[in-house]
Amino acid sequence: MAELSDPVIFGILLTLLIALLAAGVWVALSLMIMAFVAIVAFSNAPAGLVLATTLWGHSHSWPLAALPLFILMGEILLRSRLSEDMFSGLAPWLTRLPGRLLHVNVLGCAIFAAVSGSSAATAATIGRMSVPELKERGYPESLILGTLAGSATLGFLIPPSIILIVYGVATEQSIARLFIAGVLPGIMLVCLFGGYVMVRAWMAPDTIPKEDDTMSLREKIAASRRLLPVMLLIVGVIGTIYTGVASPTDAAAVGVVLAAVLAVMTGSFGRKEFIEALMSATRTSCMIALILFGAGFLAIAMGFTGIPRNLATWIGTFDLSPHALLTVLTVFFVLLGCFLDGISVVVLTTSIILPIVQAVGIDPLWFGIFLVLVVEMSQITPPVGFNLFVIQGLTGIDILRVAKAALPFFLLLMLGLLLITVFPGIVTMLPDAMGN
Amino acid sequence: AETWDMPTPYGDATFHTQNIRTFAEEVAAATDGALEITVHSANSLFPHAEIKNAVRSRQVPIGEFFLSRLSNDDLAYGLDSQPFVATSYEDAAKLWAAQKPVVTELLAKEGLMPLFSVPWPAQGLYTNGEIKTVDDLAGLRFRAYNAALEEFAALAKAAPVQIEAADIPQAFSTSQVEAMITSPSTGANSKAWDFVTHYTAIDAWVPKNIVVVNQRVFDRLDPAVQEAVMTAAAAAETRGWEMSKEEAAAKTKVMEENGITIVQPSAELVSGLQAIGAAMLENWNEKASDEAKAILEAYNQ
Amino acid sequence: MRRVLDALYTAAGGLAALCILAICLLISAQVGLNILARVGGPALSFTIPSYADFAGFGLAAASFLAMAYTLRAGAHIRVNLLVSRLPQGAQWVAEMLSLALGTAMVGYATWFSVQLLMESLHYGDTSPGIIAVPLWIPQLTMVTGLVLLTVALLDTLVESLRNRAPVIIDFGSE
Ligand code: NA
Ligand code: NA
Repeated sequence: MAELSDPVIFGILLTLLIALLAAGVWVALSLMIMAFVAIVAFSNAPAGLVLATTLWGHSHSWPLAALPLFILMGEILLRSRLSEDMFSGLAPWLTRLPGRLLHVNVLGCAIFAAVSGSSAATAATIGRMSVPELKERGYPESLILGTLAGSATLGFLIPPSIILIVYGVATEQSIARLFIAGVLPGIMLVCLFGGYVMVRAWMAPDTIPKEDDTMSLREKIAASRRLLPVMLLIVGVIGTIYTGVASPTDAAAVGVVLAAVLAVMTGSFGRKEFIEALMSATRTSCMIALILFGAGFLAIAMGFTGIPRNLATWIGTFDLSPHALLTVLTVFFVLLGCFLDGISVVVLTTSIILPIVQAVGIDPLWFGIFLVLVVEMSQITPPVGFNLFVIQGLTGIDILRVAKAALPFFLLLMLGLLLITVFPGIVTMLPDAMGN
Repeated sequence: AETWDMPTPYGDATFHTQNIRTFAEEVAAATDGALEITVHSANSLFPHAEIKNAVRSRQVPIGEFFLSRLSNDDLAYGLDSQPFVATSYEDAAKLWAAQKPVVTELLAKEGLMPLFSVPWPAQGLYTNGEIKTVDDLAGLRFRAYNAALEEFAALAKAAPVQIEAADIPQAFSTSQVEAMITSPSTGANSKAWDFVTHYTAIDAWVPKNIVVVNQRVFDRLDPAVQEAVMTAAAAAETRGWEMSKEEAAAKTKVMEENGITIVQPSAELVSGLQAIGAAMLENWNEKASDEAKAILEAYNQ
Repeated sequence: MRRVLDALYTAAGGLAALCILAICLLISAQVGLNILARVGGPALSFTIPSYADFAGFGLAAASFLAMAYTLRAGAHIRVNLLVSRLPQGAQWVAEMLSLALGTAMVGYATWFSVQLLMESLHYGDTSPGIIAVPLWIPQLTMVTGLVLLTVALLDTLVESLRNRAPVIIDFGSE
């Protein structure tokens, strides 16, 4: 089979994956089967041993331990009065803003992104609360799902960020600087997403449900008391990180404990609700874990076959100008991101891509943020997009429908990419201000 | 022609990885392409924790890892990370000479053969503010990621904190941790000046990476190819040690240029630290295997 | 038999849930100790040795032990947009195919995870942290979870074959 060229092999594997998924094979197992075929047909590695090593090696990582905890926190909030209270408390303030409570999805994800390093955890935690609430209030499904899928990608851009850590470690960039560099682009995306929601609401005002607009200021403030528990939770979790008593992973446990205490104190949460929350969190995190294992096996299979590496090398042979190179790389990463998870895309290609990028004079720090934006896009493209999986897991709505709802946000991320390319200062301004 | 996949934990900017890439090129050149080694850097194939076992079970023929990771298997592996045993390159070379036969024998039990081992620059102390004596360490939150460092922290009356490598910048900026020991390479590459002010060159220990090959895979090679691999490995070891020395000087300079105050430890600090090292070595002796003790004996001669 | 198997899956799921709870308590305890150290100074500073390792092992146990339970609950996700438009007979065939492929893949993974465990036992592999944990112990949770998942897939295959219809109802699917 050695005579097949890499693009052909890539095409065969992608077709196989799509066929498996279309036949209704579980996503995680489809990835595993595709990886298995890739290893057996296109490399010399012993597939079975590699699979076992991957399953074990990917299952016990410390940063991943935050995932089930954040999911559990979301489940507790959902099953107590806290999430309902949060929306009722915010509603009076957002009556005049086009898009109203949809902005809670965007801002909620942005705030949560400052706690969690992963976009899947962000989607799972915020979505658990916001999807049922917004649906009940009659917001249009496509916007609920789209804002959630799109905004949750901020988990990777707004620090802390697993992907920036991986990039920073692989390329020996300062992780502190990468984190700072992510802040302004994160705010930029929040504005783009929020702006888009407003435009949609302005174009079709009837689709956005009315909220009670008769309250006086005093009544609004009184209603806002219901926000207090959730604000305590946010302050508590962020506070433990930024006072240094907890690492980002530790903070997830703090979140669970605080959420449980507040839920019990507001009198709406008992043993039964807790067990339901725990079991549901167990299922959701197991679902995500199995997909991560499948994705991990696929990544290692790609490492052995050398396909992403060879494609990246091939791109390097064209001697492109910086902007042409970035355009080609965007297409390349979006294609890879269709079936590899974001972290794998970064680790499999940076060692080839970074020298090419640096050779044309692109700042590796800036490129890290560029990469994160592309990886964010890959989170919401089918067939393999983790935000899509998480949202299907939460709502039962098929990933293809979620992907369709998320398409505008994919394009907004593309716009974000264009903006940081035209105005690189959005990325470099803050880290440059760090001095030296 | 044969192709070997070679996982390494460290990124392309690390001198270890650069050295390994040269090694791979030399093997390919010397064997006229009969053996090509594909280097997979930065954990892109297997996570660091799985690399040794992946070579052992022939998932990959060759791989690199941090030698003292294996100290829990036998303390013989970890003598290069024992504080204040070998603190200069000369001592480190002497220690490796004593360690190599024992490590070779231990690895042989798992079907592995060491090809070469290259040290990191000596480990220094990163803090905010100057450390003049061991007493200045008392009460500081100190990063401890293994048993030896936890013991070190306890003996220095510092408070051990477990921080994962990736969390270091944030942990310093939020004072979750206030002191750590690592090499100038890691300090400069992670831009330590973003979060600490002082680097004290205490040269606490000189830890090594090791490159191992699966014995059975190696034995199957053509004798001429085997010889080419061994020659390139010997060259890589010599070159790696030189690179490490240059790295130590260069990276210390980078830190200085970026505003970190480089401090040579006071005599008082050195004697205090050596006392801690001696106490730790005593505890070490109680737990060490005969093989491990034999290394120390050979080294002390 | 049905009851025994369902009880088995649920029990393993419950055990997984307890692991998540244990991770949460372990980390919270360490955060509590961190706060104590901040307030009480170095004299009152303690760390739970290797707590990050234990949290990781707890995560592995939770992930693997819950797999069969999650499968039967219909929470492992799949793309059903296309299959759901097929006639019932074809849906059944697709389900059989999925289950057969799944059983084969997971069975294969289970077999090699046993090999991995045996190797860890043979060489006495331990974790590299402050507390040296023999790796076969946490790896046993992986093997157990994968064995259960293989059994659950096979069980579902047989059940679907008998019922002449899919038996797993995907969570929330319309
Ligand atoms: Na984040
Ligand atoms: Na994707």
